[in-house]
Amino acid sequence: MIIVTGASRGLGKAITERLTKKGEKVIGLARSTDGLNIDNIECDVSNYSSVKSAARKVKKMKTPIKAFINVAGTASMNMAVTTDESTVQKLIQTNLAGTIYCCQLFAPIMLRQRYGSFINFSTIAVALALKGESVYAASKAGVEAFSRTFAKEMADFNVRVNCIAPGPIRTDLLRGITDTQIQKITSQQIIPKQFQKSDVCDLVELLIDEKASSLSGQVLNVGGV
Amino acid sequence: MKLGKTMDIDQAKEMVISTISDLLEGKVKVAEDMQLIGGESLLDSMKLVEVCVALEDLADENNFEFDWTSETAMSKSRSMFRTVAALASEFARQSET
Repeated sequence: MIIVTGASRGLGKAITERLTKKGEKVIGLARSTDGLNIDNIECDVSNYSSVKSAARKVKKMKTPIKAFINVAGTASMNMAVTTDESTVQKLIQTNLAGTIYCCQLFAPIMLRQRYGSFINFSTIAVALALKGESVYAASKAGVEAFSRTFAKEMADFNVRVNCIAPGPIRTDLLRGITDTQIQKITSQQIIPKQFQKSDVCDLVELLIDEKASSLSGQVLNVGGV
Repeated sequence: MKLGKTMDIDQAKEMVISTISDLLEGKVKVAEDMQLIGGESLLDSMKLVEVCVALEDLADENNFEFDWTSETAMSKSRSMFRTVAALASEFARQSET
């Protein structure tokens, strides 16, 4: 089975739908599971106990985990000087700590199987050092650093860890961002166009596939940097 | 080994020592005061994880949950990975809950 966090909205929902369509058994983890028409577990990734409880439930299923996809996240597009303390904490706690909690608490299941793949989500804002995204980018840079090191720790157990770093994809996270602003960002990519959720879903499929067995500890920047 | 009841410290020690010994392929005599973490440890981090996974399985067989990701497990000063005896003690303690 494949586990997707943040499965109820945005990219998480799109990935869940794609994988389900492909015939994969997907378990969605989300704070609110209302309207999720797949097997799901209520889970707030920013809360260690909540993640631990979800991991315990999954372990009891005794079903191998093919992939764990950490999509749950939050964004705030602000200059550092105009980002309040609670927003800083929320960004770090959800994006960075949430990813770490999920990886560390689900890893014991994966390493026992001696195969599987973690896919964590970063952002192209890290590589491009996008102005106005400093705290958000910092939280995701942490995800990248964690993922590279975690990949080394998991390699002995034949578990791969990679990151996908999308550019601006039209989801709830981008509400309030104008097309002009998006174009300003995408123009800095090697392939200067706006990619879609489906492009990210393609990369997820690639990273899960055995054909990507040589890839671990990598960050795939969508559009290229 | 299946006990079907709460285990005492001696049973826990026997399980832990046997598990570690198996993972070290009997090449080393495992003593109660053997360190599991730090420079003196004979186990690398991968082997330590394997010990934990094996103990998790033994706990399953004995109808309790062995949580090796708890604060007690990770705390440096109180870590159950200090020695074989400390790990056995924690294993026995968790069998009671």
